[in-house]
Amino acid sequence: MKGKKFLALGLTAVMGAGMLTGCSGGDSGSTAKETKSSNGKTELEFLSTKAENKDTLQKLVDAYNESQDKVVINLTQPADAGTVLKTRMTKNDLPDMVAMGGDFNYAELQSAGVLTDLSGSDMLDSINESYMNMLYQLNKDQEEKPYGIPYATNSSGIIYNQDIFEANGITVPETYSELMDACETLKAAGVTPFEFTYKDAWTILPVWNSVAPIIQPENFYTDRKAGSTTFADTHAEVMEKYIELVNYAQTDYMGTSYDDGNKKFAAGEAAMMINGSWAITEIKKANPDINVNQFKFPTTDDAAKNMVNSGVDVLLGVTTSCGDVDAAKDFISFMVQKENAQLYAEEQFAFSAVKGVEQNDPSVAGVKDDIEAGNVVDFPDHYYPSGLDLSADLSGFFLEKNNGKDDAENIEAVLKKIDSDYDTLNVN
Amino acid sequence: MEKTTMKVKDKFNWPMTILLIALSVIFILGPLYIAVVIAVKDPSDMANVLSWPKVFRWQNFADAWTMTNYPQKFFNTFFITVVNLLFTILSNSMVAYAITRNRGKSRFFNMMYYYFVSAMFIPFNVIMLPLVKQASAFNLDNIYGITFLYIIFGLPMNIFLYTGFVKSLPVALDEAAYIDGATPFQTFFKIIFPLMKPMSATVAILSFMWTWNDFLMPLVLLSDQKDQTLQLAQYVFKGQFNTQYNLAFASYLLVLIPILLVYIFCQKWIIAGVTSGAVKA
Amino acid sequence: MKKKSALKPKVNPAFYLMVVPFVVLFFAFHTIPFLRGIFYSFTDWKGYGIWNTVGLRNYIQFFKDPAIGQTYAFTLKFAVSATILVNVLSLALACGLNAKIKFKNTIKAVYFLPYMLGTLIIGFVFNFIFGNVIPLMGQSLGIEALSTNILGTNKAWLGILFVTVWQSMAFNTMIYLSGLQTVDKDVYEAADLDGATGFKRFRTITFPLIAPFFTINMVLSVKNFLMAFDQIMAMTGGGPGTSTTSISVLIYKRGFDGGQFAYQSANAVILFLIIAGISIFQLKVLEKREAKMS
Repeated sequence: MKGKKFLALGLTAVMGAGMLTGCSGGDSGSTAKETKSSNGKTELEFLSTKAENKDTLQKLVDAYNESQDKVVINLTQPADAGTVLKTRMTKNDLPDMVAMGGDFNYAELQSAGVLTDLSGSDMLDSINESYMNMLYQLNKDQEEKPYGIPYATNSSGIIYNQDIFEANGITVPETYSELMDACETLKAAGVTPFEFTYKDAWTILPVWNSVAPIIQPENFYTDRKAGSTTFADTHAEVMEKYIELVNYAQTDYMGTSYDDGNKKFAAGEAAMMINGSWAITEIKKANPDINVNQFKFPTTDDAAKNMVNSGVDVLLGVTTSCGDVDAAKDFISFMVQKENAQLYAEEQFAFSAVKGVEQNDPSVAGVKDDIEAGNVVDFPDHYYPSGLDLSADLSGFFLEKNNGKDDAENIEAVLKKIDSDYDTLNVN
Repeated sequence: MEKTTMKVKDKFNWPMTILLIALSVIFILGPLYIAVVIAVKDPSDMANVLSWPKVFRWQNFADAWTMTNYPQKFFNTFFITVVNLLFTILSNSMVAYAITRNRGKSRFFNMMYYYFVSAMFIPFNVIMLPLVKQASAFNLDNIYGITFLYIIFGLPMNIFLYTGFVKSLPVALDEAAYIDGATPFQTFFKIIFPLMKPMSATVAILSFMWTWNDFLMPLVLLSDQKDQTLQLAQYVFKGQFNTQYNLAFASYLLVLIPILLVYIFCQKWIIAGVTSGAVKA
Repeated sequence: MKKKSALKPKVNPAFYLMVVPFVVLFFAFHTIPFLRGIFYSFTDWKGYGIWNTVGLRNYIQFFKDPAIGQTYAFTLKFAVSATILVNVLSLALACGLNAKIKFKNTIKAVYFLPYMLGTLIIGFVFNFIFGNVIPLMGQSLGIEALSTNILGTNKAWLGILFVTVWQSMAFNTMIYLSGLQTVDKDVYEAADLDGATGFKRFRTITFPLIAPFFTINMVLSVKNFLMAFDQIMAMTGGGPGTSTTSISVLIYKRGFDGGQFAYQSANAVILFLIIAGISIFQLKVLEKREAKMS
């Protein structure tokens, strides 16, 4: 009954408001969210876009909530978080803080001006500058201001089962030919070389991300933007490699979801997966005893040319609708404290952006040297226009391939499709 | 002649009975069996998903319960469903009554009839994008707001359903009440509304089903975790269940069980209500 | 003013009080968003930030966009197939249920059950069945067609179709059943005497009698299927490629996420025109039917 009364009241109020402003119908503008208080504490919503780091973040959030009695952080982690975040941006209803990747989603939030400039905060001193620079690259007009604090970085390449490699006498391939040889050896021994999870289209991207930046001509991003080059002219090799790779994948690579694939890989059903360090968390969850490691994707036969994909996996940002910016900053300072950053890195098999935090887990030992030596390349899809649904295009490519379309035609068609999608978005 | 009648009356069509039972077991109960079995299995017992569980792991339900904060989501869904149902029946029937009784007398009411009924052409998906902007501007992106919107958005269909029924109630009833000095409101609530019970039952069932199972509107309107409905929570937690299928299915069952209970107890009533509504539409 | 006019019966003001508040609210929260959507479709708004009016650009782009073409092709193919399958199968099932069978009410209740369950959860359950149960069965039986997840192939839409038909049949069957029950038993008895049995009896006697129900069901179904959303989000998210992206999924995903708020508003307007066309057709048919009956 109380609810009913409340609603009746609400209805009348809304009705009044509706009559007054219904016709003008404009946006009431961005307003800072009122800080909801329960028992006098400030509540802040902290939205993370990654399902993989839920447990770790929750641990840190709990620790923070207990460490002081003024602020309560509520962690939320919706599925399909990119879309959810954008929907909420449309609604002027952003969370107070975000933990998200340093990707086009960040670029879009930043350019929409909904992230707070965190210049002048002490916590910036403890952050590795090269990672700050990575974010600046994504800012509108490459503005050198910290709209997000890089927290963790990832490594993307090939994840492999060390026991299977050992049992078949395979050493880590350093060139593309060696990788193909390894696949042949595994196949001959009756082992599935790759577990691909292409039912979730985003898991198709890692190969593209590894190969494209190495084979593409210099200044590709600016030239493509200017229209002086195309994907069709320059990226055929990526697609050719895809075709070779899927030959060595399990039969139903299009019907396997990310979750199922991780589980199957953890159970030893395949020797390798091509994905980022974030997947290791999931694999270890399914089988804590598995010996996995990572190596960089050997794009070319010149071992010196090959690089690890690494980008900002998690950055911490404060939105402009944050109810209490100082409290949010305090929370971020807590997060970047060395022991907390260390905990995150260890549990998530991530490399930390916080100075002095080392990643010594054997599961990523194979890429550690490259990362520390800076032999890394950022994810190219972070530099394509937001809204370019590359993964859907690639998924369509494999669909056509399995429909029996001629490979050469298929490659030409998908690259043209990517070009035309790019042009559509570039004009707008 | 007599012989045929006897035949039709006494002999069950057994081949058809068996066929229908077999089909229902394979197609309807089969998938539900899989869902139930997985929900009670131990993760280690998943090698053959179809097999009967070796042990019943009720912990799955407890885990899903706490993980999704079930009581809160249940209360949200329950609140939306029940408040919407009460208000819809009371208000939409009243609007339909006023419109039907005055359509012949006033152009205004006649126009309103066409206004509401033609709005049936506009599905939610069409107004979704601008509505989301407007709803947040009016602070309607919470359970109270979404309940309010459900009541409003139900108007076209419900007015359509109710008007046909009101027409069948003799105007003499109203006139008799006026002679006794009743106002239109009194007439409606004391005399007409009780007579509308059969149609109200249909409207009640349809709005109950709509709000309890709706996914799209909560998806775009409810962003605060505290406001989520049961359906939305299943989607939101999809990523967090990962490969813990046992937990995920336990969670699905927790959503299905309330509605299954309602169904078991009110089954005949529900089927009758839904079909009569559709046939009239 | 207060004099009663003999020509025009006066409407008691209380009736205005009953209707006007709801008209205002409905206008504010349904009609205004609708009109704003139409307006946005002539702009380049992303949902936030600055915008300009761009005339018909979104609509011109709409008819050139292969992604839109594919989405509409899928949605129409899906809606038409689902409508036909649901109605044919429901009618057959209803005929079965209308026969003199034992445990009639229980069997009826079981077949109606899918109607009660949320489409999203049904989608999740079948997503699991297609991905983890059927392939295993296919492999152990050695049937190659069944040993891969159908949702990862160009037949993914059939998987979605199956789930949709599975759920929608419940409702349609009950409608047909209530239609069949209005057919007088005597008609059948007369037919029996004439030797009309089985399919012939159905074609010549039953179907013409329940034809109006058939029309209603067809039209209602097409409208619902054109707006398919929940089951697709639960099962494929629109993939593989964009092969199962329905109009609603496209509006949701691109409208909010792809910076195409205005462009997808144009898409919504076109969807409205299609639905309105179907609804008008429906009303015409209904009117004809009523005219015939009276």
